Amino acid sequence: MESLRPATESRVTAGQPGFAVRDTVRRLAMSLILVACALVLTLFLQRFFPYPFLFLFFAAVMASAWLGGTAAGLFAVLFSTIAVDYFFVPPFYSFSISPTAEAYFGGFVVCALAASWVSTAKKKDEEELTEARDHLERRVSERTAALQKSNIELQERERQLRLLTEVIPQQIWCATPVGSIDYCNQQLLDYAGRGLLDMQGERFSETLHPEDREGFHRSWQRALASGEQFEGQWRVRGADGEYQWFFTRGLPLRGADGRILRWYGTNTNIDGLHKAEQSLMKTQSDVAHLSRVLSMGELSTSIAHEISQPLTAVVTHGNACVEWLNASPPNVEKARTTAERIIQDGTRAGAVLSHIRALFKKGTPAKGCVDMNEVIHELTVFLKDEAIGRQVSLRAEVARDLPLVDGDRVQLQQVVLNLAMNGMDAMKDLARGPKELRIAVRREGASQILVSVEDSGIGLSAETAEKIFQPFFTTKPQGIGMGLSISRSIIESHAGRLWASPRPGGGALFQFTLPVRSENADDQS
Amino acid sequence: MTKVEPTIYIVDDDESVRDALRNLLDAVGMRAVLYGSTQEFLDARRPDVPSCLILDVRLPGMNGLELQEELNKTGVPVPIVFITAHGDIPMTSRAIKAGAVEFLTKPFEKKDLLAAVGQALDRDRERRAAQARLSALRGRYKSLTPREREVLWEVVSGKTNKEIANLFGLSEITVKIHRGRAMEKMEADSLADLVRMTEKLQQRFRK
Repeated sequence: MESLRPATESRVTAGQPGFAVRDTVRRLAMSLILVACALVLTLFLQRFFPYPFLFLFFAAVMASAWLGGTAAGLFAVLFSTIAVDYFFVPPFYSFSISPTAEAYFGGFVVCALAASWVSTAKKKDEEELTEARDHLERRVSERTAALQKSNIELQERERQLRLLTEVIPQQIWCATPVGSIDYCNQQLLDYAGRGLLDMQGERFSETLHPEDREGFHRSWQRALASGEQFEGQWRVRGADGEYQWFFTRGLPLRGADGRILRWYGTNTNIDGLHKAEQSLMKTQSDVAHLSRVLSMGELSTSIAHEISQPLTAVVTHGNACVEWLNASPPNVEKARTTAERIIQDGTRAGAVLSHIRALFKKGTPAKGCVDMNEVIHELTVFLKDEAIGRQVSLRAEVARDLPLVDGDRVQLQQVVLNLAMNGMDAMKDLARGPKELRIAVRREGASQILVSVEDSGIGLSAETAEKIFQPFFTTKPQGIGMGLSISRSIIESHAGRLWASPRPGGGALFQFTLPVRSENADDQS
Repeated sequence: MTKVEPTIYIVDDDESVRDALRNLLDAVGMRAVLYGSTQEFLDARRPDVPSCLILDVRLPGMNGLELQEELNKTGVPVPIVFITAHGDIPMTSRAIKAGAVEFLTKPFEKKDLLAAVGQALDRDRERRAAQARLSALRGRYKSLTPREREVLWEVVSGKTNKEIANLFGLSEITVKIHRGRAMEKMEADSLADLVRMTEKLQQRFRK
């Protein structure tokens, strides 16, 4: 098989003239040698046979045609004819042919040509077959190599993806179309402290907080039924037995026919967020509570009850006293004891009043370290929704290295909240122009900080700027006119000052100062 | 029926208010009994005399409004005058709907209180009189013989003597006698009077 290769190659390289000539010469030489061999053997065999043994020439022709192609075959026929004519056709050792040997010689030539043709044709068939098989084989090996390559690439891609799911700081899971978990990444397994077997199928829900399981199942089943995105928040138990809040999102992977093949999902730890939210809610409720306590309605109810009891007694005894004196004859003894009762109850009413006053004094302020940056930051979070709802752009500017102040954090927060809400109220009926609320805090000199709240609302005149701090002064239909009055007394009880002024360019500017905490002041000096 | 002195019950947790109320009522010649809580009032034995209740709303334990509900449920319809330091409209309307005579805000004026108390006592007297009339009526009804009662019910249902006689297999004369006796015992002046009486009796029975 290998010996055939040169012939094939010769065709491939036929474009090169030098090579083609050399090739032709080589074939010529080959057929010459083969015919020479046949001649030598025939001459040798002539000793044993009474007639020339010409068959060897056919063999030489066939071999030449087989090995060297049509041209070589024809050359071999030519050489054989010459050799046979010279050596074996009478007259011997001459190229002339006797008339009697013409038919014999002619038969030889025809047979030689036929042998050459048969051999060439056979060879050609064989070659074509081989070529076709080679081609096929080549194609197969090419395809196999390509497949192997893409297979390796695929494996590499999968390995990279797998690696990715393991290195990103996110918990990842997969589930079957019916919702049975069948893969969890290492992050998830590490968090839960379980093996994959303990998380598969329905066992995943064992890690959920008992209170959250029903909600999880409900939304998971809904997502599975509808094929829509799956989302939710629940507490998941970690390896340490503690529950943390997670946000889960799952998406279906669909096949070409739209059927869901798998679900892919992630769990994001939102525990910190949740805690922050809760502390914010607590702050909100603190503020709300304070504002409730500060509202005059609540206060007056409790004062009214405390005062009205002795007052009722005084008035009723007074009426009785008049009745005793009006009687005929007047019952002076009863009138006197009644008057004594009046004095007693009046004194009691006074005691209630001074008790209430003491309560107020004692209640302000609960001293502590307050960071006004933090107070304002917390408030803006709380006010953001309100501002969005009222289409007000809220801007808060905190100061770096702001010194702490001494005071009641909740009260100070209430003051800023009150000023901010006033500002938003002042912009409520603004038809045109931007609605801007700016809350800022900065250091003012060595010993004070200055908080300012400014709005672009209806504004105020220089005269009203002072009036608004008086109790029961209000410009709002629903207002009771106590907010600013209380705010000022809170700031003054913190040894600060609260004032208002018209804002250049429209609106109002409220500012208050607070003294810097004493240790801080010392540090500065 | 002898003339009896009415009693005014006062329930307030503030002693000075209680005392002052008693002093005032005393000065105008009325008898007051004091209680510091609703429970004390419920536990006390109360004499069977015209009475009313001056009741504070804000009380320890069961409050005034709850006591009112409780009394209505147990069928002790003492007229109530509420006194409170801070009454709001829903509270007032709830109390009045449940049958309170008046709702006074502390400190109240003498004339308002005395007017309310007077009105409450009138209401109680009226109720007591109606109660007395009803029990007298029942006493009279009880004095009838079974036959007289049967005849009486047929008479007020509109049947003639003849129809009643046929119904019970009696003579018309006998029916007339039973009917006359029943009218007499019931102290009814006319058939209309008798019908009114039986209506009252029926109301009572239905209850």
